[in-house]
Amino acid sequence: MKKLTGKKVLSTKVILLGILILITLALPLFLGVKNMTVVSRIFVFAVYAMAYDILRGYTGFINLGFALFLGGGAYFVGIMFAQLTSSIPMLLLAILGTVIYCILWALLIGKVAASGGSVLATAMITMAFGEIMRNVMDNARGLSGGSDGLSFKIPKPFSNRIFFYYACFVFMIIMYIILRKFVNSPTGRVLQGVRENEQRAIFLGFNTNRARTIALIVAGVSAGLAGVMYGLLTRFINTDGMAMQMTYNAMLYSLLGGTGTLFGAIIGSSVVIVFQNVLLDLRGVLPIFERWLLFFGLLYIVVIMFMPTGIVGFAKSIIKKRNDKRKMKPKP
Amino acid sequence: MSNIITILFNGISEGCLIFLMASSLSIILGLMGVVNFAHGTLFLWGAYVFGWIYNLTGSFLLAIVAAIVVGFGLGFLFEKVFISRVYGNVSAQIMVTLGLQIVFTEICRVFWGAQQIVVARPPFLSGNSNIGGVIIIHYRVFLILIGVLVAVGVQLILSRSRIGMVIRAGVQNPNMVDALGINIKRYFTIVFACGAALAGLGGALYAPLNGTLNSTMGASTQLMAFIVVVVGGMGSFVGSAIGSLFLGIMVALIAWLVPSLSLIAPALLMALVLIFKPSGLFGLAVKK
Repeated sequence: MKKLTGKKVLSTKVILLGILILITLALPLFLGVKNMTVVSRIFVFAVYAMAYDILRGYTGFINLGFALFLGGGAYFVGIMFAQLTSSIPMLLLAILGTVIYCILWALLIGKVAASGGSVLATAMITMAFGEIMRNVMDNARGLSGGSDGLSFKIPKPFSNRIFFYYACFVFMIIMYIILRKFVNSPTGRVLQGVRENEQRAIFLGFNTNRARTIALIVAGVSAGLAGVMYGLLTRFINTDGMAMQMTYNAMLYSLLGGTGTLFGAIIGSSVVIVFQNVLLDLRGVLPIFERWLLFFGLLYIVVIMFMPTGIVGFAKSIIKKRNDKRKMKPKP
Repeated sequence: MSNIITILFNGISEGCLIFLMASSLSIILGLMGVVNFAHGTLFLWGAYVFGWIYNLTGSFLLAIVAAIVVGFGLGFLFEKVFISRVYGNVSAQIMVTLGLQIVFTEICRVFWGAQQIVVARPPFLSGNSNIGGVIIIHYRVFLILIGVLVAVGVQLILSRSRIGMVIRAGVQNPNMVDALGINIKRYFTIVFACGAALAGLGGALYAPLNGTLNSTMGASTQLMAFIVVVVGGMGSFVGSAIGSLFLGIMVALIAWLVPSLSLIAPALLMALVLIFKPSGLFGLAVKK
């Protein structure tokens, strides 16, 4: 009997997921170009937030310079398309460059985190790295356009918004599967051990620094690839792509959805980006909504103080309560 | 030669300004284990309140006092309402103070607008003297005086008074102080609010030096203060004083020699210190 109910739950989950995917696939039929871009944005930032979740949710590592990965990917696309040619081989080259760039940064940050130690020190040092990269891009005005930015054309078929929408969707699904596999791998298990109790993981004979560095590489490369998609989406990049605000975005998306769940990142980015667009549409009614960041920050504080487990954690606790109640009831 | 003296002088006065931020940040970190990512926002509020009151009334002293009071009040609010709820959880502290930074920077923009506001130096400090080819800006002399005054004052409070004794003990071991029957939580609030007041003072003094106000200066000054805290040794008051002077002079020299590196070099220095000498460049970090 127990087995049967277990199967039933699984099948409802699968059906729900199937419906969700079908709706997402059919959405371009109903959405205008503007809204389609918003949804594409949700997909891209969901990957970015999932990458952040690998670090924050699965290893307890606070990276305040995370935007250097996303901005790096976007800059690779932007600089290569704007300064050289806008073509598919160039895109592949940009992806290759992004991967190498992200791996190098991940190795460096991993090295520092291993020697520095505390959460605080790593938070500060990654912030310094992020600022360094932003300043480098700001100074390399001839190459990157500095804070004025760089706008560029993108090659076919990515220039077609509908094609790009599906490309983003497929990208998100693939990254989700890869990251899910990673989290459930032996290395992923070690990482969760590090988050819960690093000393214990060390005593059990695991090389925690190595596991953390691998996590950094996975998270960094994922965020870099999200950056490539972000560049293709906006067709524009400036130093804001590497600013602290970009890191805060990743933090809020993954926090709001629920850290350590991966899936929460998708929910978080959907909720925040939709919320942001609704508010920005309202600014004609009330000028205070022009100050979108004010609400962003408030949401952020509320989530940390009152909903530390995020939407997914909150939903899980409600389901658990309901199940407990059911168990408490005397059986007839 | 006179160039170098001018640059050194400017560097020292900048250092004194950073010191107001960095010293309070360092004491808060040492005592409470909190890295206040909203410190730059308190600085920003100090600067805007100063500019607002000064342009309104024309009284330099009143404007400075207003900035300090607003800094104190905001610090009190931050500690009581937000930070006190997340003690012991470092990541939540970082996140909450980051959230406060975003919200209060944005409120500042709502109140005073996003465009620049011009703030003049008060007439009795606006001049400059030329001593043997070295140009001395009077306002910078004033900054150095205030910096030294605050440094000596805080050091005296820390080393001579009962409050200072409790704070020093709290930096070493807050639980032990609590166990001895002293309400350490109340000291946390006081220290945080006073630190915020110092940041507000820093902002107020920075406004006339810069001449204009804009809403991004909080973040950039805060980064400098972090760098000083790391370079000087986390939690050390003396370290933050030395670190501020060191960084002020270093930035002034680099801005003169290689201007394109003037923003990158401090961040790079911070990274190197954290990697190779986590106890600070002078090994003054408080050991727990």
